[in-house]
Amino acid sequence: MNTKLKVSEISKIYPGCIANDKVSLEFGSGKIYALLGENGAGKSTLVKILSGVVKPDEGQVFLNDESIKLNSPLDAKKNNIGMVFQHFNLFETLSVFENLSIDSDKKDEELKTLVNDILKKYNFKIDLDIPVLNLSAGQKQKVEIIRCLIRNPKVLIMDEPTSVLTEQETDDLFISLKQFSKDGILIIYITHKLKEVLSLCDEVAVMRKGKVVSVSNTIDEKIESLANKMVGENLNTIKKKINNFKNSEEILKISNLNFKSDDPYETNLNNLNLSLKKGECLGIAGISGNGQNELFQILSGEIITEGTSIMFRNKEIGKLNPRERREYLMAFSPEDRISQAAVPELKIYENVALNNFKSSNFFEKGLVNEKKIKEHSKKILSNFSVNTDNVELKSQFLSGGNLQKLIIGRELITSPELLVCFNPTWGLDVGAINYIHETLVQINEQGKSSILISTDNDELLKLSDRICVIYKGKLSKIMNADTVSAEKLGILMGGGSID
Amino acid sequence: MSFDLNFIGILIGAIMASSVPLILAASGELITERSGVLNLGVEGMMIIGAISGFALMVVTDNLFFAVVGSMLSGLIISLIFGLLTQSLLTNHVATGLALTIFGIGMSAMIGKNFVGIPGKEFPLLFVNLKESIPFLGPVLFGHSIILYFAFGLPFLTNYFLKKTKTGLIIRAVGDSPTSASNQGINVTLVRYSCILYGGAMCGLAGAYLSLIYTPQWIENMTGGRGWIALALVVFATWSPIKVLIGALIFGGITILQLHMQAVGLRIPVQLLSALPYIMTIIVLVVISRDSRKIKLNTPTSLGQIFYKEK
Repeated sequence: MNTKLKVSEISKIYPGCIANDKVSLEFGSGKIYALLGENGAGKSTLVKILSGVVKPDEGQVFLNDESIKLNSPLDAKKNNIGMVFQHFNLFETLSVFENLSIDSDKKDEELKTLVNDILKKYNFKIDLDIPVLNLSAGQKQKVEIIRCLIRNPKVLIMDEPTSVLTEQETDDLFISLKQFSKDGILIIYITHKLKEVLSLCDEVAVMRKGKVVSVSNTIDEKIESLANKMVGENLNTIKKKINNFKNSEEILKISNLNFKSDDPYETNLNNLNLSLKKGECLGIAGISGNGQNELFQILSGEIITEGTSIMFRNKEIGKLNPRERREYLMAFSPEDRISQAAVPELKIYENVALNNFKSSNFFEKGLVNEKKIKEHSKKILSNFSVNTDNVELKSQFLSGGNLQKLIIGRELITSPELLVCFNPTWGLDVGAINYIHETLVQINEQGKSSILISTDNDELLKLSDRICVIYKGKLSKIMNADTVSAEKLGILMGGGSID
Repeated sequence: MSFDLNFIGILIGAIMASSVPLILAASGELITERSGVLNLGVEGMMIIGAISGFALMVVTDNLFFAVVGSMLSGLIISLIFGLLTQSLLTNHVATGLALTIFGIGMSAMIGKNFVGIPGKEFPLLFVNLKESIPFLGPVLFGHSIILYFAFGLPFLTNYFLKKTKTGLIIRAVGDSPTSASNQGINVTLVRYSCILYGGAMCGLAGAYLSLIYTPQWIENMTGGRGWIALALVVFATWSPIKVLIGALIFGGITILQLHMQAVGLRIPVQLLSALPYIMTIIVLVVISRDSRKIKLNTPTSLGQIFYKEK
C-alpha cells in the first residue's frame, strides 16, 4: 500500500503576514520527510492545514492523486492523516485510556486489546489508567502517537516533537518513527533542529517566509548548507578570542555555597566555589536537574542562603534580593522565558517596566511614566533587533527568538557588569541562536563578565573562557575552555572523572 | 419511644424536602460547569422557573404543564446566556450575574398578578405507607415524584459523567476545549447543550419551590438558594455525590436551627441562621481535601471563552 500525498499551490494569508505562499510539495510512503524552517517560516500553518485545523485560502491537497477536502480535524481523520501537535492535544485530567477512547468508535474492550497490541509492538510502557497529568512529556507524546496509530494512519505528521523531550526520549522516538516508516506510514517531520534532520530524515524541504526554498535528499546536505538555506544568508561563524585573564581584576567570588532544600524535587548544592574575572565567560555544563536551577536562583537572589559568601565588585551581596542585585549591576536571563523572565499577557513595554531601577524613573510618585518606558522599550527593540517596533504588542505574540532578544536586551541596556544566563538559546532557531551568541561574545569583548549555565555543550565550548560541570549539586574542577573537549564534558556530566 | 422515632423520621423527611431545590439546581450547574462554562445565573433561572411554573399552574390548572413549562422557561433563559457567552463570546461571570438580576426582575414583573393566589395540592406518592411504617415511613414515603427524581439525579449524573461517552466528551471539553476541537468535537454544541440542561434543572428547582415546597408565589422566593447551589458545586469539587451530601447538610442544619430557635436556646439567632452556611462549607472542605482529586475533577477551562481558529 503506497501512499502519495501532494500539496499543491497552498496559500494562507493572515492579517499582516503571508503564512503560506503557493506551497507545493510531494511526499511518498516509506520515507521520512523533514519540513525545516525557522520559527514563523510557515511550517506549522502548513501542517495545521493538512490536519484540518486551519483552512487554506487557496490550493489543494491530494491523497493518492485524489483531491481531498480538509475542512475539519474529522476530515483529516477520515483520510487517515494523523497529527501529533507540538503542544499536546490531550486532556490532562482524563485517564490515558479515556483520552484514547474519546474519538474512537470502537467498544472499550476492543479498543483496549488494540491499544495493548500497539504498546507491545512498539515497546511503549504506559499505564492506561492514570491521569495524563501524571505522565512525563515523552509519555504524553506516546499517548498522542498511539491515538494516531489506533486509526491506522497512512500519514503521520509530527510537529516539532523533540522540543519537550530529553535526549533519551528523543532517541526512543526516532527508533519508533523509523519503525513506523518501515511499516509503510508516510512520516512528515517538522523541525528547526538541523541535526535531527540529518540523523532521521530521508528528504528535506526547507521553508522560509512562507515559501518552499529547497527540496533535497538529506545525504546531499550538511548542517551548514541547511542552516544557510533556512536563514537565507550566510551565517557568520562566531569566533571567540581566547583571552588570558591572569592579570584581570576579579569581579565575582563565591565561597562555600551550600543549599539544602525541603522540596524533594530540588537538588541540594554542596560546597560550591567559583570566581570570575572581568571580561570572562564561565560556562557551567551539566544534564538538566543537577542543580542548575538552584544555582541560578541563588545567583539571582531568588533564593537567599545562610552562610554563603558572594563577593561581587568587592561587596558582599549574598543577602541582597534580585532587585538590589540588579541595582548593583548584575543581570539575569532565566531559563523559562514565558514564566520566569516575562509575563506573556503583558505588553512589551510593560514587561520592560518590570525590570525597573531607581535610576530609570519609570515610576513617579506612584504613577507609571508610560512615555519614558515606551521610549526605553523602543530603544531595546531597535538595539537588539527584535522583529517588531510595536511596544504595545503583547509579549505572548513574540516568537521565542524575539522574546529572548527582548529579555537579553532588557537586561543589557543598563550595561551590567555581570550577566548570568541559563539556557539562553533553548528552543530557538538558528538565526536567533546566532544573534544571541554574537551578543554574548560582544559583552565579553566590552570587558563585562558572564556566567553561562547551559545544557548545550556546543554552545558552551563556543562561548566560554573557562568551563566546569555541575553534577548532583557539585561543581567539577574549573578548566580552561581550550583544553576541554565535548567528550571530556560528557564524561563529567555523567558523573565520571578525568585527569 | 416510637413517637420520638417517628418525629425524627418526619424531621428527616422535611430535611430531604428542603434540600431538593439545591440538589436539582446544583446537579444541573455541575454539568454546565463540567463543560467549562461558569453560569452564575442559577438564582435567576430558578426564580424564572418558580414563577413560570406557578403561573402556568394557575392558568392551565394542570400540574404537568406547570412542571414541564418551568423547565422550558429555565431552558429558554439559559439559551440567552448561551447565545451571549458561546456565540457572542461575552464574559461568563458578567453575563451570569446579569442573568440573575434579569431573572429576579422579570419574575417580579410577571408575578405581580399571582401574589396571594393559593397553590394547588401536588400529588404525593405512597401516602398510606408513610403513615403505617414508623420512622422509615416518613423518611422514604409520602414525597412528590420530583423529590425521588432529585435524589436519584446525583447518582445518574455521576454515572453519566464517568461511564458514558457523552459524559467523557463533556469532561474533555471542560478540560481543554482547544484539544477537544482539534479532535473534531463540536465544543460550542457541547457547551450549549450543557448550558440548556443546567437551565432546565434550575427551572425545575424553582418549580419545586413554588408548586410543592411552599405552594404559592412570593417575590424573591428562591431566597439565595441559587447561590448556595453554586457554592455547593464548587465546594463539592464538582462531584455529584458530594453535592448531594452538601445539600442534605445544608437542608438539615437549616431545619435543625429553626427548631433550635423555636426551643429558645441561648444562642444568638444570627449565629444560628449563619450555621447552615458555615457547616456546609466546613464539611465539604473536609471531605474534599484530597488535592489530587480536586485537580482531576476541576474543569480546567472553567469560565474561559472558547473560539475556534479559522
